[in-house]
Amino acid sequence: MKKLILILSLSLLGTMAIAQNADDIVGVWEPGHGKARVKIDNIDGKYYGRIVWLKEPNDPETGKPKTDVNNPDASMKSVPLRGYRILKDFEYKGKGEWAEGTIYDPETGNTYSSVITWKDDNTLDIRGFVGVKTFGRSDTWRRLKVN
Amino acid sequence: MAISFKKVFCFLVLIYAIMAIPVFAQEEEEEDWSKYDDMELVDDKNVRRFAKPTIVGLSPTRFLSVSWDMQMPYQMTFSDIRLPASSGTGWRVDEEGNVAETARARFTGGIRFNSNIPVISKSNIVWQTGLNYMRVGYSIDEIQTNRITGASPSTYLSLPAVLNEKGLNNINWTNTVFLPMSEQHFLILQGAMDLSGTYDFGFQPLETIRWSLAAVYGKRVSELKRWGVGIARTYRVGNMNYVPVIMYDVTSTNRKWGTEILFPARVHGRYAFNKNSLLLFGYELEGQSYRVNEFSINDNSFEIRRGELRPRVELQKQLRGPFWAHFQAGYRIDWSFDADELPGGREFFRGFFGNQEFGMKNTLNNALYFNIGISFVTL
Repeated sequence: MKKLILILSLSLLGTMAIAQNADDIVGVWEPGHGKARVKIDNIDGKYYGRIVWLKEPNDPETGKPKTDVNNPDASMKSVPLRGYRILKDFEYKGKGEWAEGTIYDPETGNTYSSVITWKDDNTLDIRGFVGVKTFGRSDTWRRLKVN
Repeated sequence: MAISFKKVFCFLVLIYAIMAIPVFAQEEEEEDWSKYDDMELVDDKNVRRFAKPTIVGLSPTRFLSVSWDMQMPYQMTFSDIRLPASSGTGWRVDEEGNVAETARARFTGGIRFNSNIPVISKSNIVWQTGLNYMRVGYSIDEIQTNRITGASPSTYLSLPAVLNEKGLNNINWTNTVFLPMSEQHFLILQGAMDLSGTYDFGFQPLETIRWSLAAVYGKRVSELKRWGVGIARTYRVGNMNYVPVIMYDVTSTNRKWGTEILFPARVHGRYAFNKNSLLLFGYELEGQSYRVNEFSINDNSFEIRRGELRPRVELQKQLRGPFWAHFQAGYRIDWSFDADELPGGREFFRGFFGNQEFGMKNTLNNALYFNIGISFVTL
């Protein structure tokens, strides 16, 4: 019985771990692959995220800073990846969910519809999808300490 | 000359704008990126990195796909039917069947529907499930028999007549699980169930469901390369078989060339014209064990072991957004169209070296084939 109460209590605590306000998402986050860091900002009520750190900032072949070479738009191919906005136009919908945004994958040059879900104070669930959420993939992002 | 206030205001705004541009630009340029170098995770417990389920440059993964498959006309040859399960007088593996019946297939093919829906799609596990349907309909004429002089197909069991009337249907349910074990290593498990035969809406006994399994252990070496080895229980060439599996997917650094190999099931080279169109060239093995209701007596299941080798080229092109079209042209090479009688519908293992006798030995001449379809894909 004690175990049951403990489990129920923990479950209740889990459900309480929702964002208290929209700006809780603001900060620097690390995607699951750990090869980049993304800073999320509130700009005029919408949320945007740009790459602020790359594990491998330079192209190993040229030695120059990596650019968005996979972008289907030729005019964007020379834009540096560091500083590039990969999260765009997210709006806070309440209950720990930011939606109606897009996420850009620099490795493929594809842009996906996206929704961000608050898991706990230090963890986000970011889902990119095609059309409907079912046809997508989720990644876990972790918060970084801001010095 | 009087200068109006409006003109002065516009001039000042212009000057401010010109001066402001470099200031803003400088802000971008002077961002101190180094402050992000030494950051640490707030909570670094249980942080695990996982291999991604793909590499860059692969042809798009199809969530939903509808296509039409069609073979050009070819000649068919059928042997006498011998039922080894009941009489022990079947066709030996190395024996050529007699020519008891010949026919011409004017049309072979039909609709194919495939689905591959993500049930769970996270960085630490991907589970996809899909229902698939494949129709192999026939339009067969010029049926000639050597069995009984002057007899018409309606007076004896004629396999081409049955195929012409019923065709072959396959319903398949496939589940695939991708389990990354680390940043580089992964495991792929796949299980499939097939119900194949001349059935219509009445289906057929469920003991004729055939199941396939595959397990591949692999390494994602980089964004451009992954390989894997494994084993599969498969019906790819008609008969149930156990075969080793080799996966080798690679993309060139300029992303133009690549391979998509899951040997022996399919081997393809890839050339990307651009981001919206690509060409695959190689082959695929296709096959199933189809129960012929009309020939199945007592508890036994009479099954055609249909196996085809399909060397081919396939052009894939994006239509709009996630909708892609494909056009495939190739040569359908008959691997097997022989038949077995399975006592009680129970499968047996002949493999490459078994000597279990066949119930029927048939031959299909090879033919050109085409497949055209449309898919909803992940980009």
